[in-house]
Amino acid sequence: MGLQPYLILSAVIFCIGLFGVTTRRNTIGILLGIELMMNAVNINLVAFARYTANAAGMVFTVFTICITVTEAALGLAIVILLFRVRRTVMADHLDLLKG
Amino acid sequence: MIEQLTFAALSIVLVGSALAVVLSKNLFHAVLWLALALTGTAGVFLMLDAEFLAAVQLLLYAGGIITIVVFAIVVTERLVGERITQTNMRIGGGALVAAVMLGFIVNVLRKSLLPATRPEMPGDLTRVLGQAVLTRYVLPFELLAVLMLVGMLGAIYFARPED
Amino acid sequence: MMANSGTLALTAWLLPAFSFLVLAIVFPLRRLGRPAAWFSVLCAAGAFASAVMAWRIQSVAAHPVHLVWPWLPSGGKTIADVGVLVDAQSTIMLCLVSLVALLVQFYSLGYLHDEPAPAFGRYYAYQSLFAFSMMGLALAPNLLQLFMCWELVGLCSYLLIGFWYQRPSAARAAVKAFWITKAGDVGMLVGIVMLFRAAGTFDITELHSLAATNALPLAGLSIITFCLYLGAMGKSAQFPFHVWLPDAMEGPTPVSALIHAATMVTAGVYLLVRTDFLFALTPNVLLVVAWIGAFTALLAAVLACVQDDIKRVLAYSTVSQLGYMMTAIGAGVASAGFLHLLTHGLFKALLFLGAGAIIHAVGSNDLPNMGGLARRMPQTATVFIVGTLSLAGIPIFGGYVSKEEILGAVWGAHLTGPFLLLMLVAGLTAFYMFRVVFLAFFGAPAPAAQVTHAHAAHASHAHGVHATTAGTAARVAHTDLHNETVVEGAHVNETPHAHEPPATMLLPLWVLAIGTMAVGVYTTFGGRVLLDPAGAPTAEGAPGWLTPSAVGVAAAGILLAWATYQTRTINPVTLANAFGPIRAAALRKFWIDDVFEGLYGIVLLGFSRIVGWIDRYLVDGVLNVLSDWTVQAGDELRGIQTGKPQDYVYGIGAGVLVLILLMRLVF
Repeated sequence: MGLQPYLILSAVIFCIGLFGVTTRRNTIGILLGIELMMNAVNINLVAFARYTANAAGMVFTVFTICITVTEAALGLAIVILLFRVRRTVMADHLDLLKG
Repeated sequence: MIEQLTFAALSIVLVGSALAVVLSKNLFHAVLWLALALTGTAGVFLMLDAEFLAAVQLLLYAGGIITIVVFAIVVTERLVGERITQTNMRIGGGALVAAVMLGFIVNVLRKSLLPATRPEMPGDLTRVLGQAVLTRYVLPFELLAVLMLVGMLGAIYFARPED
Repeated sequence: MMANSGTLALTAWLLPAFSFLVLAIVFPLRRLGRPAAWFSVLCAAGAFASAVMAWRIQSVAAHPVHLVWPWLPSGGKTIADVGVLVDAQSTIMLCLVSLVALLVQFYSLGYLHDEPAPAFGRYYAYQSLFAFSMMGLALAPNLLQLFMCWELVGLCSYLLIGFWYQRPSAARAAVKAFWITKAGDVGMLVGIVMLFRAAGTFDITELHSLAATNALPLAGLSIITFCLYLGAMGKSAQFPFHVWLPDAMEGPTPVSALIHAATMVTAGVYLLVRTDFLFALTPNVLLVVAWIGAFTALLAAVLACVQDDIKRVLAYSTVSQLGYMMTAIGAGVASAGFLHLLTHGLFKALLFLGAGAIIHAVGSNDLPNMGGLARRMPQTATVFIVGTLSLAGIPIFGGYVSKEEILGAVWGAHLTGPFLLLMLVAGLTAFYMFRVVFLAFFGAPAPAAQVTHAHAAHASHAHGVHATTAGTAARVAHTDLHNETVVEGAHVNETPHAHEPPATMLLPLWVLAIGTMAVGVYTTFGGRVLLDPAGAPTAEGAPGWLTPSAVGVAAAGILLAWATYQTRTINPVTLANAFGPIRAAALRKFWIDDVFEGLYGIVLLGFSRIVGWIDRYLVDGVLNVLSDWTVQAGDELRGIQTGKPQDYVYGIGAGVLVLILLMRLVF
């Protein structure tokens, strides 16, 4: 079928994830967007690995999946901690860096 | 033929659920839609003859991540004590950015030479994967283990009860 | 080895410069006072010796000597040199300047001996600078160096008039002098530049040869010479720029003798003498020069008749005599004007220094406070009368021949109007000078209560319109009941304490008196060569009745003064009232000063106010608006930093896309 459709699919998912990251108000919603982006990357990697007969792509995918899981866990831990301190998870309210 | 149909169906499922993730008003629903999206991704992996990865995806992502996200929502929901509603902000700008980015990537893809047929698989992919991880990529593998340990410790530390 | 007249002139010029530099830089020496003074006097003496030697060599030399160094390069060649042009005129002028400078510096040792040491040293530094500048002007080979030294001379005048700068009247007078001469200087600079454009050179000798060979374009030359004359008007106090000279009497009397009698004010005359070949090509400008000169002479003579301050009488007298010199130049006989410059330099300096002796003794400038001084100060009286007779133009005395020559030149040029004015002025000059003599030296001494004895040298005081109005109320001098003296640190004595001045002051007086007599005798009996090798005596051109009538007019003036102030046959008050309206106007200085003040206030200050408004509201306004906009823009742009990382991600995404788009479209 060709590589191109997979790549386009991955691009679409990536951009939807990007949309979610920049748009969602809830921090957890942002994390969901990040998950989507990671997924898109994985699809990309695996597709390339399959179509160039290089297993390295899949190995890399395994690694990224593991790292993503770690990052998601930590991210959510931070969200919980943030909630404890600031009593909110809305990204609008987290503006201590405001200039 | 079958391949194309399967791919089309999977894409619809994926894209649809992804859109639902980012546009859903209820956060809990969004999480559930994410679960569907992750499952769809596992289907794509299967189409690409990466069975091991599909299994890993289902286990870790659809199983693990969704679980902890649900836990996080529950934890933060209860203390807030109100219905979790959410809206999006800056939809126009975000959509524009995403659309232009998509257009650009697709443009590049269209112009580039990509392989059109799948080469032959050198045997069982899982076996190849396993061998590669434990021979050629053993160092990143081990470091990954360390990283995950650190991550776990960090997460536990973050989420510790206040005392 | 016979030294070159050029190097001698250069030595004479640079010795005062050396003195000034030493006194300016080595300030411990300057602060010591008297050692600095002696150093300056020694340099001045050396300068005078060199000047005399240079003159002696040059007076028999055939050609002028150019000793110059290239100075201003432009476009590959030098457009101006710096150095000395040594010819007959410049060496004589050099001698006059160095002699009077030396005598004045020597005289100041006595006159200013009460000054605190740092001020004393400063005074001598300024004197050295002035001597250097004036000699540089006299020796200038080109108009550019002349202009530079011209400006320096103006600066020294400012510094020396305002020597007692703590006195507001002195400071004002110094600024006034500077302003008014500066107005003329601007014109002069314009003239010099235009001349350069027309002739291509600044050098005086080259200009002379260009003029002689008719190589100068005549179109626009009148404007050029008029502009040069403007500078001379400012420096030489021609109407209406004469107003600074009487006020300049705020400075110490030796300064008045040096700068405002013998040297600086004659710079304008000297300039016209140096460039007379240019003016000869523009007779209409010469006509203007003559008329203004004659009018100035008359105006100043009238003003001198009503002054009660002895220095002011002498100041107006100087203005009047400068008018004489200018009229002679306007008549086309610059040599007559130059001769009068020389003789006038000698006897006017003598008169001023004599007046200084009187002021030093009496403690006041006012004529009503003087009287019968001849008995107590016989030597001063003698030299002063010698100077007065020279000024009046009596035969044998210094100014006689030069005055006759001027009158002859004016008559010969058929300038009837100026001639009549000058004759009238001759009479007036004799009158007012002998008024001073009779009031100061003869008659009864002033009553005791009004005479204050002040050894302090700060004996000159603000004597504006106030004093003259008060003085006229008591027009009869010796029963003056108003004491207008404002002397610092003076003690009122019971008895008048006038006495001869010390030797340091008497010696220059005698030198000048002998010099004036020598010049007078020499010129009366036909000698001219030493003073003016190039000029031909105009005695052959003058009509026979000229000399007797001129002397007669002067004698009539003396007689009138004697009758009014000595024997009191004519009541001074009656005489004064006979000229009622003229006198009243003269006491207001014919409102010329008021016109200047009005112009200054309206035009200059008004213009300043407008410019100030523009600066505050337009220029500053624009800047303030811009800065406000900047601050506002900053405030608005600060809103971009929302502090939410999500926004930053969005920004990064958008930024990357813009970059990509730019790359796609542009490159």
